[in-house]
Amino acid sequence: MSITDEFTKGLWKTVAPFRLVLGLCPTLAVTTSGINGIGMGLATTFVLVFSNLFVSLLRRFIPTQVRIASFIVIIASFVVIVELVMQAYFYPLFKILGIFIPLIVVNCIILGRAEAFASKNGLLVSLADGLGIGIGFTLSLFVLGSLRELLGSGTLLFYDSSHPGFHVMWESFEPFTFMLKPPGAFVALGLLLGAMNLISRHQARKGG
Amino acid sequence: MRDIVRMVVVLTLIGALSGLTLSAIHRVTRAPIEYQTIKFVKEPAVKKVLTGYENDPIADRKKIVVGVDEKGRPLEVIIFPAKKAGVTFAVALEGRGKGFGGLIGVMVGVSRDGALLDIGITAHSETPGVGSKVAEASFTDRFKGLPLTKGLTVDAISGATYSSRGVVAAVEQAVGYVSKFSKEIF
Repeated sequence: MSITDEFTKGLWKTVAPFRLVLGLCPTLAVTTSGINGIGMGLATTFVLVFSNLFVSLLRRFIPTQVRIASFIVIIASFVVIVELVMQAYFYPLFKILGIFIPLIVVNCIILGRAEAFASKNGLLVSLADGLGIGIGFTLSLFVLGSLRELLGSGTLLFYDSSHPGFHVMWESFEPFTFMLKPPGAFVALGLLLGAMNLISRHQARKGG
Repeated sequence: MRDIVRMVVVLTLIGALSGLTLSAIHRVTRAPIEYQTIKFVKEPAVKKVLTGYENDPIADRKKIVVGVDEKGRPLEVIIFPAKKAGVTFAVALEGRGKGFGGLIGVMVGVSRDGALLDIGITAHSETPGVGSKVAEASFTDRFKGLPLTKGLTVDAISGATYSSRGVVAAVEQAVGYVSKFSKEIF
């Protein structure tokens, strides 16, 4: 597969939370708004790209017996970097995402890509793979978060506490606060997964 | 044998490099993190007790050592100065007093001429609905404009004597720091 293929596969064909149903813990937990989804997604993308980069660089140097331990050390280092930088420059987002930032260490998408892809492939393709999967993850979280935010509080991305009157939905819209609760996350994920399957089936039928 | 040596060397190298990088990043981010934490946790209370300043009291904060704790480490208090035209005309600082459910943290604004500007409760674990009333404006307003020269007398909230006393103790602690270290503060 070419570099472009490696990049684009993460955007639709193997988009992590929907197609592989991986990394569901942050997917369901933090997506109460679009901006939270983007924040979580970008943090994960950063870790994913750099862990892929370093795992691919060091793949001939790391003995197979200790590869998982080495990968985890590499991943954990980048997670701590993300955590410190976020705390220093994006404190409100850091407060909202809370424990889910350190938990990126155990996000199986990242270890999965390191083990299944970056440890067997060259530098450039590994970068493309990490970037693709990461952006796909970010988009998924953003769409899921926006859907929940729209239905659950009637607002969208630009909303913050400084102008609380901003509503996207019609005026008499009564928000489904259910969508912001944990079960609402499953419902929204199911709806999006169904929609994706519908589109894929439609495409397959049209294609032949 | 060679394998084991290689594993040890590789893991050690990776661990050491990671530690080195992280300590460098920690060094760089330490000051901004401290600023952000104080800004988001303390700024609302500082804004309540100080008015009319032109500077950023969080950025201009300074620490003074007020004593030692039971382990012999220096006990520090953060002073938030309010400045106009470069002159500190008031400061905010936090005092603590024992309430009914634990320590009550109170941000206290003190003007240069020794008057109590306002107080704001930063942390408490008093009984909800009873002792928690000390955090309401109807109680904190009673401290406004009190002179610092003699002991504080404030009407307590009935049913919440311990909580009221806790707040008074916290204010007195903060005020005590101001009078004891006024040279360093202003």
